[in-house]
Amino acid sequence: MQIRDFLRLTGTSILAHKLRSFLTMLGIAVGIAAVVLLTSIGEGIHKFVLAEFTQFGTTLVAINPGKTTTMGMSMGVFGTVRPLSIEDAEALKKLPFAKSVVGFVQGNAEIEGNNRSRRTTVYGTGHGFPVAFSMPVRSGRFLPPDDPVAPRAFAVLGSKVKSELFGNVNPLGKLIRIGGDRYRVIGVMESKGQVLGFDLDDTVYIPLARGLELFNREGLVEIDVMYYEGTNVDQVVTGIKRVLMARHGREDFTITTQQQMLDVLGSILDILTIAVGAIGGISLLVGGIGIITIMTISVNERTSEIGLMRALGARNSQILSLFLGEAVVLSAIGGIAGMILGIGIGQLLAVALPALPVHTPWTFVVLAESVAVFIGLAAGVIPAMHAASLDPVEALRAE
Amino acid sequence: MIKLEQIHRDFQVGDQVVHALDDINLEINQGEYLSVMGPSGSGKSTLLNLIGMLDHPTSGRYYLNGKDVTELDELEEAQTRNTNIGFVFQAFHLVPRLTAAENIELPLILAGISPEERKPKVENALELMHLTDRAHHKPEQLSGGQRQRVAIARATIMEPSVILADEPTGNLDQKSGHDVIKTLESLNQKDMTLIVVTHDQALGDRSHRAIRMVDGRIEQDIKNSGRHDTNQ
Amino acid sequence: MIRTNDIVVFGWQALKGYHTRTLLMLLAMAIGVASVLMLTALGEGARQYVRGEFASLGTNLVIVFPGRSETAGAGFGTMMGVTPRDLTLDDARALTRNPDVSRIAPINVGAAEISWQNRKREITVMGSTSDILKIRHWKMSSGSFLPDHDWDRAAPVCVIGKKVRDEIFGAHNAMGQWIRLGEYRYRVIGILASEGRSIGVDVEELVIIPVSSAQALFNVPSLFRILIEVKTRNAIEGVIQFTKSTLRQRHQGEEDVTVITQDAVLETFDRILGALTYAVGGIAAISLAVAGILIMNVMLVAVSQRTSEIGLLKALGASRRQIVRLILSEALLLSAMGGIIGLLIGQAGSWGIREALPDLEAYPPMWATLASFLVAIITGAVFSLLPARRAAKLDAVMALSRH
Repeated sequence: MQIRDFLRLTGTSILAHKLRSFLTMLGIAVGIAAVVLLTSIGEGIHKFVLAEFTQFGTTLVAINPGKTTTMGMSMGVFGTVRPLSIEDAEALKKLPFAKSVVGFVQGNAEIEGNNRSRRTTVYGTGHGFPVAFSMPVRSGRFLPPDDPVAPRAFAVLGSKVKSELFGNVNPLGKLIRIGGDRYRVIGVMESKGQVLGFDLDDTVYIPLARGLELFNREGLVEIDVMYYEGTNVDQVVTGIKRVLMARHGREDFTITTQQQMLDVLGSILDILTIAVGAIGGISLLVGGIGIITIMTISVNERTSEIGLMRALGARNSQILSLFLGEAVVLSAIGGIAGMILGIGIGQLLAVALPALPVHTPWTFVVLAESVAVFIGLAAGVIPAMHAASLDPVEALRAE
Repeated sequence: MIKLEQIHRDFQVGDQVVHALDDINLEINQGEYLSVMGPSGSGKSTLLNLIGMLDHPTSGRYYLNGKDVTELDELEEAQTRNTNIGFVFQAFHLVPRLTAAENIELPLILAGISPEERKPKVENALELMHLTDRAHHKPEQLSGGQRQRVAIARATIMEPSVILADEPTGNLDQKSGHDVIKTLESLNQKDMTLIVVTHDQALGDRSHRAIRMVDGRIEQDIKNSGRHDTNQ
Repeated sequence: MIRTNDIVVFGWQALKGYHTRTLLMLLAMAIGVASVLMLTALGEGARQYVRGEFASLGTNLVIVFPGRSETAGAGFGTMMGVTPRDLTLDDARALTRNPDVSRIAPINVGAAEISWQNRKREITVMGSTSDILKIRHWKMSSGSFLPDHDWDRAAPVCVIGKKVRDEIFGAHNAMGQWIRLGEYRYRVIGILASEGRSIGVDVEELVIIPVSSAQALFNVPSLFRILIEVKTRNAIEGVIQFTKSTLRQRHQGEEDVTVITQDAVLETFDRILGALTYAVGGIAAISLAVAGILIMNVMLVAVSQRTSEIGLLKALGASRRQIVRLILSEALLLSAMGGIIGLLIGQAGSWGIREALPDLEAYPPMWATLASFLVAIITGAVFSLLPARRAAKLDAVMALSRH
């Protein structure tokens, strides 16, 4: 039998029962739409979260005090007998692959300026911060490369702090008060917005040594090393370990590479997407049962037709492929309709709820359609085998 | 030519064995016109199905054109049915969603013949059966006689050596029945073997050779020469 | 008027006549109902688990930590608990004056290396007071907890978790041994009973020392948290107000602490998990709609296959209403049976989840059981309306002449 004849025969039998075929396809379409829509939302969130992270660059390595971690956080951040020091950060700057090394201390303090006050997050950090975290300065400049142990009392404002304290007034050169000390404002950061719930604009940056003093801390919360692109991550980790081990005499710090974090995060989000897609897939399973049911009915109704085909010299395999083909065409068309439905609802959602990221990669589209075709094949097998195994004499006698 | 040797066909009904065909020996030459008569359940249809290779003997040998076809596998059997045998049924058995032309085309499609080759054959067959103007009608739009003529066109489209007709006039009025019989007989004159199973004595009398079956056996096998009126 | 009983029998016989398709439709419905049940059971189990975890952290708890952010929610800066002005032991002591407060535990945490003889490892160290044992509902396995004396006394004693004991002391008796943390030495006076589960800190891998000792060890003058246990639930709000005003007074009129209740945190988790359960149940319920479409499809087929039967019924005096009722009750019977099978599978599946994850009390919630069963029946009814009306409209003469 030639392919186009095969398709024509299949087509006529599907068209012979338009409502029935439509409802069967609808079942598959709803299932595919659910899977496509849910995985699109999952994938959208995946992309969104990764974008949030990678906006700081992917060549970052974070070092925290303490070796053990609880729930992904080093307890050494809160208190440790072996703190990371400014000198540790300085030592790391000598590593050949280190493009930028930034130490951190952070806390919460009351800021006063322009006769207003605001409680906000204060970062003690260094000159390399804008480069390492790709956070550009909007006006003025960032903290200068002062003596790391005795820097001048300069402050750089996050855009929200600037607008809350100074409104439209130019803050450059003005004095502000943080925890009793006076700082001169030398720059304002570009607005960065919320990143994973943290408002990066509600911040003030002061030199690291002054931050330690302000919060009365002995050690840094974190040191971030940004390495040159193309450097092997393992080489970076080994290099950092060597320098700090030499200084501390033991490994009492935790190194986290941005790449590791992205990998872990990515795999968690992948699992979520798959889980959500699988729950949507239950509908697809039910749609598949719909195809089995309708094909079973179809084979029963067309028993005498099957007998006739056998009398005309049709082979078992030809009967089998005719019914299988019918099931596959039903589910394939249902699948295409479902994809259009799913992507369409996804786009509507994206317009209606801009906060909800939706993304449908082409691989999903291809995958969803393959799944639909596969379901058609799987669901068609039993009825089609039944059709092929019918006794022609009995079949011809059926009404 | 057809040759049946010691053919038995048993059916298990409940815990009883029914001998539908009981030691049938039969030779039918190419171009013969044969009628099979007998009461219901005498094994006529079973014999026809067996000759058409839709059914298989419990024991015995069946030679078609000198070849033992009881040994064929499913695929060879299907091909033999497709090319050598044409069926005509009492219930017509047209596919309801296909047009007259498409129904006639089915055996060609199953044989994998290309549409270009098929088209003239189908047109020719339609013309022979005087169905050219009905080509694109669905079966439900055709009269009984037209439906059976479509079925005959379909049975002969592959130019088979044997036509098997099971009560071909059973569902037709007398006029259409007569037309259908004339059509079948004209095919017989082109050297196709014609085997007709029927209840109708008048129809049986038209054939060149009449077989009478009772309880799965051939009771009578007579030649009725000259009764067949070819001029009408 | 035809009797309901007869309608059910009629429908049942019709379904039995086509057992393959009946079974398949039952399966479709059952999958839908069962998946709703099992997924909501999973969600509900997770919710109960989190509730249990929070309950094990203490009841009627108010938590104070240094720092306050004006941006909505607690930013990372405040969670770090680092501010220019310290939250001190004296601040905590001032809070004990409220009569509604039953217990108070100031807390410091940090990482240090524990060593005994040649064995050493990094460990989480918590500084607190004797009350923390009761607030957190911890149990002792042997020895005693931190003594109930003056908070400012940096006694050189410690209580260790079970895993710490196993790793550091192995087969040796830990009680009375002196361990080293950083520059200081502490005597082991008790071992905590292992606690099966806890969100917060892992008790098994914890060393607890007096809060003053911890401040000296880590050289931090500020507390990390203050846990306040309130006598009654109703008094919580009053204690929060008291805490805020007391600390504002002590901090020169500046409100630089965040005060939250454990309940508020629990509420948030509860809401999130509740919403997730609804969402997951809803997504699974889409399959019920697909099963409904299938029932509609098959009932349509059944009506066209049974055209002559319906014609006969009409000839025998069946009204349109009766025909509609016959078809509807057939579909209802189908979806109800599918629903019941689904409920059974769902319950069995939930039992399976409970067997596989003993921590999870995965029982399908009542609302999910009722809702999925109702939705199954309603979809059955709604999707069979069209076939039923089609059957009722059949012309009796035409219907009879079809065969």
